Amino acid sequence: MRKGEKITTNIDWPLFSVYIILMLMGLATVYSTAYNVDSPNLFDYSQKYGKQVVWLLISLFLGLLVLLIDADIYRKFATPIYIFTLILLVIVLFMPAKNGARAWLGIGTLGIQPAEFAKIGTSLLLARYISSVNIKLQNLQTVLMANVIILIPMVLILLQPDAGTFVVFTSFLFVMYREGITYDPLVLKFVNLIPGIKFKQTWVGSHFIPIMFAVVFLCISTLLVSNNIITFDFMPNVKIPGFAGVVTSLILLALLSLFFLRYIGSKRDRKNALIIVIIGFTLCITIASSVNFLFQGMASHQKDRIELFLGLREDPDGEDYNRNRAMAAVGSGRFLGKGYNKASVSSVESNHVPESETDFIFCPFAEEWGFLGTFILVCLYMFMLFRIIMIAERQRSRFVRVYAYTVAMILFYHFAVNIGMDIGFAPVIGIPLPFFSYGGSSMMSFSMFMFILLKLDSQRSYILQ
Amino acid sequence: MNFDTRKYVIISFIVVVGFIYTSRLFYMQVIDDSWALRAQQIAEKRKEISPPRGPVYDRHGKKIVSNRTYYNLMMVEADMKDFDTLAFAKLIGWTKEKVKARFREIVKGEGKYKNRHTGKTTSNYQKVRPYPFIKEMTLDEIANIAAHLEEFPGFYEEVTSMRSYTYANGANIFGYLSEVYREEIEADHFYKAGDNMGRAGIERFYEKDLRGQKGIRYIVTSALNNDVESYMEGKYDTIAKQGPNMNLGIDIELQAYGEKLLKGKRGCVVAIEPATGEILALISAPSFDPNLLVGKRNISRNYPSLARDPQKPLYPRPLAAQYPPGSIFKLLQSLIALQEGVITPESGFPCNKSMVGCHDHPSAGNLPDAIKFSCNPYYYAVTKRIIQQGKDRNNFIDAEIGLNIWAKYMKSFGLGYKYDTDITGLTTGSIPDSKYYDKWYGHHRWAFSTIRSISIGQGEIQLTPLQMANVGAMIANKGWFYTPHFVKSIGKNGPLEQFKKRHVTMVDPKHFDVIHEGMRRVVYVDGGTGRQARLKDITVCGKTGTVQNKPKKDHAVFLAFAPMHNPKISIVVFIENAGFGGTWAAPIAGLMIEKYLKGTVTDTVKEKRMLDAVLY
Repeated sequence: MRKGEKITTNIDWPLFSVYIILMLMGLATVYSTAYNVDSPNLFDYSQKYGKQVVWLLISLFLGLLVLLIDADIYRKFATPIYIFTLILLVIVLFMPAKNGARAWLGIGTLGIQPAEFAKIGTSLLLARYISSVNIKLQNLQTVLMANVIILIPMVLILLQPDAGTFVVFTSFLFVMYREGITYDPLVLKFVNLIPGIKFKQTWVGSHFIPIMFAVVFLCISTLLVSNNIITFDFMPNVKIPGFAGVVTSLILLALLSLFFLRYIGSKRDRKNALIIVIIGFTLCITIASSVNFLFQGMASHQKDRIELFLGLREDPDGEDYNRNRAMAAVGSGRFLGKGYNKASVSSVESNHVPESETDFIFCPFAEEWGFLGTFILVCLYMFMLFRIIMIAERQRSRFVRVYAYTVAMILFYHFAVNIGMDIGFAPVIGIPLPFFSYGGSSMMSFSMFMFILLKLDSQRSYILQ
Repeated sequence: MNFDTRKYVIISFIVVVGFIYTSRLFYMQVIDDSWALRAQQIAEKRKEISPPRGPVYDRHGKKIVSNRTYYNLMMVEADMKDFDTLAFAKLIGWTKEKVKARFREIVKGEGKYKNRHTGKTTSNYQKVRPYPFIKEMTLDEIANIAAHLEEFPGFYEEVTSMRSYTYANGANIFGYLSEVYREEIEADHFYKAGDNMGRAGIERFYEKDLRGQKGIRYIVTSALNNDVESYMEGKYDTIAKQGPNMNLGIDIELQAYGEKLLKGKRGCVVAIEPATGEILALISAPSFDPNLLVGKRNISRNYPSLARDPQKPLYPRPLAAQYPPGSIFKLLQSLIALQEGVITPESGFPCNKSMVGCHDHPSAGNLPDAIKFSCNPYYYAVTKRIIQQGKDRNNFIDAEIGLNIWAKYMKSFGLGYKYDTDITGLTTGSIPDSKYYDKWYGHHRWAFSTIRSISIGQGEIQLTPLQMANVGAMIANKGWFYTPHFVKSIGKNGPLEQFKKRHVTMVDPKHFDVIHEGMRRVVYVDGGTGRQARLKDITVCGKTGTVQNKPKKDHAVFLAFAPMHNPKISIVVFIENAGFGGTWAAPIAGLMIEKYLKGTVTDTVKEKRMLDAVLY
């Protein structure tokens, strides 16, 4: 810290506020979900809410420490921090398994999940690597090196195994995309194998990551709703296949994009964007239809296997237990919700929704506050993400910008997958809802992420590298 | 190269996900309610609390149908621990094999459910659900078992209520209850498996009143099916309400006395209060104790033998049996003839046995004497005058006109149609009109001579005993009646609307005095056919009937009302295959009238003779 500056100088208050709001909302939900009549005291350490209060205070204390330390160290010590978290990831593999995974490091009930902290280490090293002088993400070698930085912790996490965190690590690809990564050399190699084709550049190659993700997201969503049937109260006899929902959403999105086209400045850009929208829409419809067609044409045992893989079914006999309970809880909230502390499906006591204070915490929240609450929650997360991207774009230091993007994308992943699995849009992967779910490791690691970002941002006027 | 535009790709990614998630949440939480219903299925238990049925009282406020507490021995397989079959069998007094068989029966049977959509029958048995292991145990039976149930986790006792009858009488009035079928549960969601429903009598007719209102508790249940708490703190719960008190017009003492008198006989007695149409007694003999058909165990034990009994005790004779009325019908012929003006009270006809037979008596010189003698040729002549009034020169057309006039009168007397009343299992009876005979003989192919047997209440005419009793009430009232019915009031409500409507006949009240006089002579003048019904302080008006029932012995009928002035009771006694009406039916009617009006019977010799008689 420079002399004469207060710790609060240049802190981004909007981001900090939404962070605090989300944490308090999360604590309130944990309290109501895990509520125990015999010990209603919020600060009772024997209860989960008492523990969560402690995690929260520890997180804020760690955050204070981060704010006191000069932000330069994160760039300087990025490699040691990365290696340290890798060592933790290796050590954890020799720990006794808990719930079938070797994810916990610690004694008794007190423990941390190194995978959560590995995200920070990887973020810092990736940011440092990309921001190094003479680095161009258009070189195949650089691309491979960046991918190796991500892949090492991913492999170690997969060995635990922790599929959720493994998937979250793919969020770094988006960051690299923002920094200009291109897979064009790779794509060109394959494309140019086809006789008669000699491309110098492909659109697909340079935008490979978002396109791939859009396609994966579209395919998974289509599969998830493919066997659904939409019915309405007021038309009980009309049964619409779930695929129609996908088509409707795509059409709505296309119309929305067309509406926003007019705000694009130059006429040429507008024309290009229009072409992209039309091609994109056609492609999306084609992909979704073929996925739907293929899935519906499959034999039932093949379907079962795919549904199992997607987490649509916990086990072939359990008939999709978790998702079904979770979606029932969310849907039962209706518009205004059942009221605070009145969740009947997803309270820990009734225990219909498993892990309702950790991975499925969105369910009790949605049940208690209804659509009104979930809408506000989605808006809060959206606001947080946009604020972080705004912060990222205002940096002069490439290191801070990359780091800020990793924070944004990791939070976005957690948000999208966690809520997605409660509404039938994502496979059931156990990852926490940031700042909301019960749990020390995720609370502390996300807070560290947040405070490091706040600190780096507060020093943006003199961090140039 | 500048990649700043790529941030828009990322931003739009986030926007699209946010937009899709918001729409999806809106759809799931606001538009589509199937997830909310699913949540109800998962986490809410609707616990119904069945109220006891409404009690039933007789006209003097005596409780005649009440409820008694019974116990079901329930079992939940999931809660069982180290179950010792032998010890359990010993406790409930069964054999080990029987206990095992009962388990198999519950697993296969109690939980069986046919899915209407797939047509598949699957066992719906669930280990976590309670099922009755033994149903309907009395306090004595359960008391010994309950003390030791702690040694058998998974078993517990549950309280239920069932009907209990103070008097062993009136089974055909009350009907009985039995378990509902699955189709009935589907048709009316009030019921759940194991509930009872009124099957006959007033239990069936007033089912929706008597059953009361179910209490409903919504309970949040856990994934292990334990009760967690009241849903929304009991906001939607309702309290169970017992069915309202029901008051009948029945005099249970009279009913019991009648059933006693009719022991050893086949037949029936119906008594009505003329001023209100309330049924005082409705006896079907042989009768049975309504307590025999209480609960599943009793029904399965007793119903088969009752159904197999050749005397048909389950058959509600007063409502369902249709008999030719015999000579009591002559009263109605007289009324029609007077109203139509084809005779006067002073008309006399010779007892000419050429067309119809008759017993030996002097020719009747006037109408009251004709009633007293029950002279068949007299009524042959009277009815001929009604049917053949000479309104058309063609004899056949004339008969058609005359018969239709006659049938119209009969209908106004409450005959030939089913009463709109609270009695289940009624039959219509039969009053022939021209169409009826056209079917038999052809249009204009019949005249009075063809159908002459109707003049003495034989042939195609059929009445239920209830209709006969109502004829008595109508005559007692001099030309009007209320629809006969059982129930005076339910809870705060009085009798049903249709019971308050007075039905006025087509005969002028002035014509009834001479009929009353004739009926008095039947009982009180020597040579009258109903002298056996005579009472000392009460003037009884009556009319005997002997219904031909070839080749078997005739049925005996006696129709009466009393007292002559301001009648309080109208009664019909119908004894099957008992011979002459005056011998068996008249004394029983007399005894019952006295019992009802005085409370006691003076002529104990006559009473004993009636009690001892076995006529089948």
